Order: sequence, then structure tokens, then C-alpha cells
Amino acid sequence: MRPVFALLIALLIATPALAADFGEDLSDAETVKVSTLLASPDDYVGKTVKIEGRITGVCAHRGCWLEIAGDEDFQSMRIKVEDGVMVFPADAVGSTATAEGVFTKIEITAEQATAVHKAKCEKGEKGEKGCQHEAATEAGVIYQIAGVGAVIDEG
Amino acid sequence: MGWRRVNNVLHRDIGYLLVGLTLVYAISGVAVNHVGDFNPNYRTVREEFSFEPFVVTDRVASARILTDRLGLPEPVDAFLPAPGQLLVIYDGWKIEAEPAAGRATSIRLESRPLLHALNRLHLNHLKGAWTWFADLYALLLIFMAISGILVLRGRTGLAGRGKWLVLVGFLFPLLALFMAAISSSS
Repeated sequence: MRPVFALLIALLIATPALAADFGEDLSDAETVKVSTLLASPDDYVGKTVKIEGRITGVCAHRGCWLEIAGDEDFQSMRIKVEDGVMVFPADAVGSTATAEGVFTKIEITAEQATAVHKAKCEKGEKGEKGCQHEAATEAGVIYQIAGVGAVIDEG
Repeated sequence: MGWRRVNNVLHRDIGYLLVGLTLVYAISGVAVNHVGDFNPNYRTVREEFSFEPFVVTDRVASARILTDRLGLPEPVDAFLPAPGQLLVIYDGWKIEAEPAAGRATSIRLESRPLLHALNRLHLNHLKGAWTWFADLYALLLIFMAISGILVLRGRTGLAGRGKWLVLVGFLFPLLALFMAAISSSS
């Protein structure tokens, strides 16, 4: 019996720390600034891009998206994945991340924008001032990255 | 010793060994099954603050003013998500502020320590050797399923009513898949 216990203990000790890699391995491509993507988004729609930056938000339930701050004010980029494909840790806020995926353009109708706006206000995600006006509910375009891989620096 | 005696002894002893891990996977499984309703690892705690209002200028200076007024330590980073809004980032938590209105909300995570630990094992966040250990557990579960139907003989065994219960057990997941296929095609 003692050899069995020794093996079990050895297996447990051999396990590494929590992994910070998600999805596929990142390519060797250079990162692109969020400001560059948003300055001429049509040049990048449908293409695989890699960005890096500070994580400012993570999906609270299924860990299915990361929000990365842009290099310029008022800009950020969401890395969105399908539920369960990657599960980003909720406590990743404050860490830096490098993420890669397909730059995607999503056109939303006024009704869809209204629904999203209302949902965020009900969850308290927009602040009182942001929920006072209906201007946020116009039809528009959302740019995000359909993530295929990410590395979160937990250091 | 006949094969059934060996089967039953192994089923019993391996069963004892697997009690702990089965509870880990079952409890974590229920929690993760309801991940759309709640985060099984953390509870989000929001706290509201008021402070003397100020006008947002650049993110660094604005963050310094906010943290001074709230008596908070130096942040990891600061960000302006939209005009008039300030986001101050710490390690694992953040503060969302509307400085002109003198309002801020801290958003922190409180760990659910037991569920978090169980989920790390269930979802193989440990990686490395734990992957093989979890695979071994799965193989032993398969053994438990097969050896379990061979424990008893006669009327209460597999040749008796056991075969009907096994059939019902297979029918439930097959029926669920069938119903899902019908609803997705319609």
C-alpha cells in the first residue's frame, strides 16, 4: 500500500501552478494597437489580429469575454469566445493579456442597442449618468475580436 | 477465488477510493451546470462611494485625485472608458467612477473557497500530472459502472430486472439528444 500512497503524493506534487494560457497557442505575429484597429477597422475586419493590454473587465458568469483597455482614452477591445471554449478567470482584472483572434464587425439595430443598453443599466454596468439618456440606443457598429487564444500574465 | 468474487472485491475497494473524487466532481458539476445563474468561483460585491466631485483631466492625474479622496492605495492602472468616466484598476478588482457627479462603485470578487477549489480540480485548471490523474479516475469510473452491473446474480442481477434499469438509464440521455435534435431542426 505504501508505494501506492507514494505515487499519489508524487503525482500531486508534480502538478504545476494555475495555467495562464487559454485556447490555441499565439502566433509570432506582431501586436496591433487598439487605436490602429479602430482608426481603420475595415482594413482589419475578417483578419486575425493580436493585441495586448490591461484587462479592465471579465465576464462575471461564464468567463466568455475579456475587455482590454486601448492605448488611447475612450477605446477598448473585447475578446469574445463561445461559452466553454475558453473560460477567463473573473479575477483577471488588473492583469495584462495578449490575445489573438478574428477582428469582427457586428452591426446592431436600434432595437438591439436599446436591449443591450437596458440590460447593462439593470446590471449597474453603465452608471447612473450613462443610463439617463436614450442617445446610447441608436443603431451602430460594434467591433470585437473573436478570440482563438490568449495569454494572461499573472505576474 | 471466482471472477465474481474478484469483481465484487475490486468494486467495493475501488468504490471506497473514489468516494472523495466523486463528491468533488458531483458538487462542482452541479455548480458549473448553473454557471449561467451564478459564478461558481466568486461572488461579486459592489460598494458605493461618494466624494467631492472633480473634473476628469488625464487618467493618471484623475486616478490620483480619486484614490486620495477615497483613501485608497495606488492602483495598478487607470483608464478613461468614456468621456466623464474613470476606471481605476487594481489587482483583481476595480473602481468605476463618475467624478463630476462625485460617485464611484468598487467591484470586488469574494471567493467561494470550497467551490473554487472543487472547480479547479473538476475543470482541470491544475493541468500537468492532474490531467493523467483525472483520466485515471474516469477509467476507474468506467470500471465501477461495468463491475457494478455484475455484482449481483439472479432476479436482482443483470439477467433479471437489472437489464431493464440499465436500459432506462441509457434511454434518458438518448431521449434528451433526440429532443434537442428535433428542436434545433424545427
